Amino acid sequence: MTIPALEVTGLVRAFGGIRAIDGVTLAVPAGSVTALIGPNGSGKTTLFNLITNLYRPDAGGVRLFGEPLTGAADWQVAARGLVRTFQTARVFPGMTAFENVLAGAHLRQRSTPLSQMLWLGRARHEERALAERAEAMLELAGLGGFRDTAATDLPMGAQKLLEVIRALMARPRLLLLDEPAAGLNDGETAELAMLLCAVRDSGVTLLVVEHNMSLVMGVADQVIVLDAGAVIARGTPAEIQRNPRVIEAYIGQAEGTA
Amino acid sequence: MDAALQIVIGGLLQGSLFAVVALGFSLVFRMTGVVNLSQGAFCVLGALLAYSLETSGLPIYATVPVAVLGVAVFGLAVGLIFFVPSLSRLPNSSMLMLTAGLLTLTQGLMLVHWGGDPYSLRPFSGEAPARIFGVRVPTQGFWIAGMTLVVILAFWYLFARTTLGKALQACAENPVAARLMGIDVERMALASFVLAAMIGALGGIMVAPILALQFDTSQLFTISGFIAVAIGGIGSFIGAVVGGLVLGVAEQLAAGYISALFSNALALGLLLATLLWKPSGLFAFGRTRRTDVREEQRIHPAIVRLKGRGAAVGGAAALAAAFALPLLVSDPGLMSSIVITAILFIGVLGLDVLMGFAGQVSLGQGGFMAIGGYIAAILATTYGWPPIVGIFLGCLGALICALLLSIATMRLRGHYLALATLAFGLVIDSLDVGMMDTTGGPSGLVGIPSLEIGGYSFDGDRSMYYLVLGIIVLLLLLLLGGMRSGFGRALMAVRADRLAAGALGINVARLKMGAFAISAVLAALAGSLYAFYFHYLSPDMVGTQRSFEMITMLVIGGEGTLVGPILGVALLTLLPTLVQSLALYKILAEGALLVLAFSFLPEGIFGGLARLPAWLAERRTQRLVPTRIPAHREAP
Repeated sequence: MTIPALEVTGLVRAFGGIRAIDGVTLAVPAGSVTALIGPNGSGKTTLFNLITNLYRPDAGGVRLFGEPLTGAADWQVAARGLVRTFQTARVFPGMTAFENVLAGAHLRQRSTPLSQMLWLGRARHEERALAERAEAMLELAGLGGFRDTAATDLPMGAQKLLEVIRALMARPRLLLLDEPAAGLNDGETAELAMLLCAVRDSGVTLLVVEHNMSLVMGVADQVIVLDAGAVIARGTPAEIQRNPRVIEAYIGQAEGTA
Repeated sequence: MDAALQIVIGGLLQGSLFAVVALGFSLVFRMTGVVNLSQGAFCVLGALLAYSLETSGLPIYATVPVAVLGVAVFGLAVGLIFFVPSLSRLPNSSMLMLTAGLLTLTQGLMLVHWGGDPYSLRPFSGEAPARIFGVRVPTQGFWIAGMTLVVILAFWYLFARTTLGKALQACAENPVAARLMGIDVERMALASFVLAAMIGALGGIMVAPILALQFDTSQLFTISGFIAVAIGGIGSFIGAVVGGLVLGVAEQLAAGYISALFSNALALGLLLATLLWKPSGLFAFGRTRRTDVREEQRIHPAIVRLKGRGAAVGGAAALAAAFALPLLVSDPGLMSSIVITAILFIGVLGLDVLMGFAGQVSLGQGGFMAIGGYIAAILATTYGWPPIVGIFLGCLGALICALLLSIATMRLRGHYLALATLAFGLVIDSLDVGMMDTTGGPSGLVGIPSLEIGGYSFDGDRSMYYLVLGIIVLLLLLLLGGMRSGFGRALMAVRADRLAAGALGINVARLKMGAFAISAVLAALAGSLYAFYFHYLSPDMVGTQRSFEMITMLVIGGEGTLVGPILGVALLTLLPTLVQSLALYKILAEGALLVLAFSFLPEGIFGGLARLPAWLAERRTQRLVPTRIPAHREAP
């Protein structure tokens, strides 16, 4: 049995009296695309924040490729191969789209600040290589025309795509995407789906929170359904579509049938 | 025993003033999330106004309300024109500097009108102190205590019983929801700003009989009030009062039993201890908020990036002009100002790395200049060490201080870090003045030798100019290399969004420390060159006023551009030389320029110039062809 990319066991986190995450256990197989779905307020983003150590859990733990992640600082989490995006696109204001993407390569930068300041050949060479990769990424996401535009001036959908390729520049082993298709139009969503498949084919494991069902059904190998802070179903997209508990969680229970 | 009681009472009185200033801080912070550094200026303005009214023959019971009203009108104008409109446009770090600008502006106004002398009012109920259980208490003490009590009660009444108080509370809790409920959030922000100004004025007037006030006492009030509020918990009203009293008593005890010098250091110590032990203060206000969702979107200034041939040609031309400059200038006064411009630019360059790239506000750059300057100058003058060794050790000293301060404040964000640097700068100020035997005290250190490297003495304007120019070119090359590579990008990412930066593996704390170290070392270098050039170093050459001035230079020159700040430095250094009569207005002009730059030219003069060609081209094309919105991209 191979080690899963991500293993969450018995995770609990309460805010005041609300148990936002109430004993979640799940595994994301390496190399898969796992979709995390659930009604609003079911705890998807809280779970993301717990996995990336933005919040401290009250109980339970997280393992990344078999190694416990407890107590790691945000940058250490990323350095160990787990990179995330945010629900609302968080591109860097004051930087161009190209600079945003390049900033994602921070973990891949081998040259030291000192060697960069001294204009050493090694550092210049690395800069050029990263710049080429960043431009290729921009093209891949269809953002080539925005290279020198201020990232915050981009349309919302483009900002979300930018955030995804910025995260990819870090060459993560596991990529967590928080509602990447929110605010995207149909064309952009199709582009995102292609991008996600390309990412998976390059060996990166994906865990995606998403509301867009056609996207989820199209790219996910596994779907996990969260409701009221607990996992209520897991399976292939086809299984989940037929699962009565999932339908109930989304549509609600008909009156008097309980 | 009596002496101890005397000191405690003195401390409580001083603490009352701190508490009142702190209440003003907390009020504005609650409403707007901004630490309003101009708070201390309103205290002094109130006291000086009262002084003028008193000398014009107005009785005291009329003086106080008229002076408070005068400050309210001033606060209303400043709030309406500068403070409130900027709230929705500027990030919090810039708001902090804007209020620093308002502080400088108000201080400059007071300097122009009242001059630099200290003033005090007559005690409200005569000079004779009252005796209570054998302890002499100045009668003014009762006025101060009474005023503090009245202000606290008025606060309580306002928030507990009135609709205005409820509206203010709503804005503090959730501005967006308050706006949706039909509350005019801007007006509430303005109301809090004016209210804070009035409270400050009242406090200033009350203490004026026992404390002589002058225009630059403002800074001291601001920092004491802030330390009080940080101890108590910013945003908390009870915290402000408790923090003020604790600080007042602690300072007086330290001053009474150890030394006045120690009392400033103690204030900083208290601040750091509180921030480390309980970063949100003793009485934390507010609840934890979601950190992964951005609070609000602000408008971002244009991005200025120079590259390619244009930049290379421009750089070469600027360098050629810089080399030719001494040949064109014959006036020694002007030449001397040019050298000072170049020296100060080194310090501002460091500030640009810290503020323009890493987005950290330092209000203590002058303190690092002082460390570098005094260490180098004292070693060379008193101990006869070679200047170059002194410069090296001065920079090393600044580096060590920066790293220590950075480690101590690592967990702090935004305001707290900026204010820790301000407190640090003020402590260095008081050390410069207090350590008479080593630094020469307020009158300065004299007889500093010329800079000598390998037997060559840089004792003339020109030789010094070329040396500094060489250093600048070298530094610019280093920083351009660093800032245009991964290092600079990572710093900018930290500035832009520290959470998103962390999620990409950027070690935010370490980068901030690196930027802080660079800025401190460059400040120290500038400070030591300054001392060797002038053959003299006094506390006000490298004091807190200098720190504020350097921020102004940076902002009006153009932050985050490395070369841009030279325009700001030149403007503020050369203008007073060229037009001697302007000297009195220097502080006023600095404050006004900083405030105006934030309002009208946030990208600075350099940014404005760099954008000019694109702007002109845009206008031309707009006239020629109908504007076409560029398609987002080709359909897939």
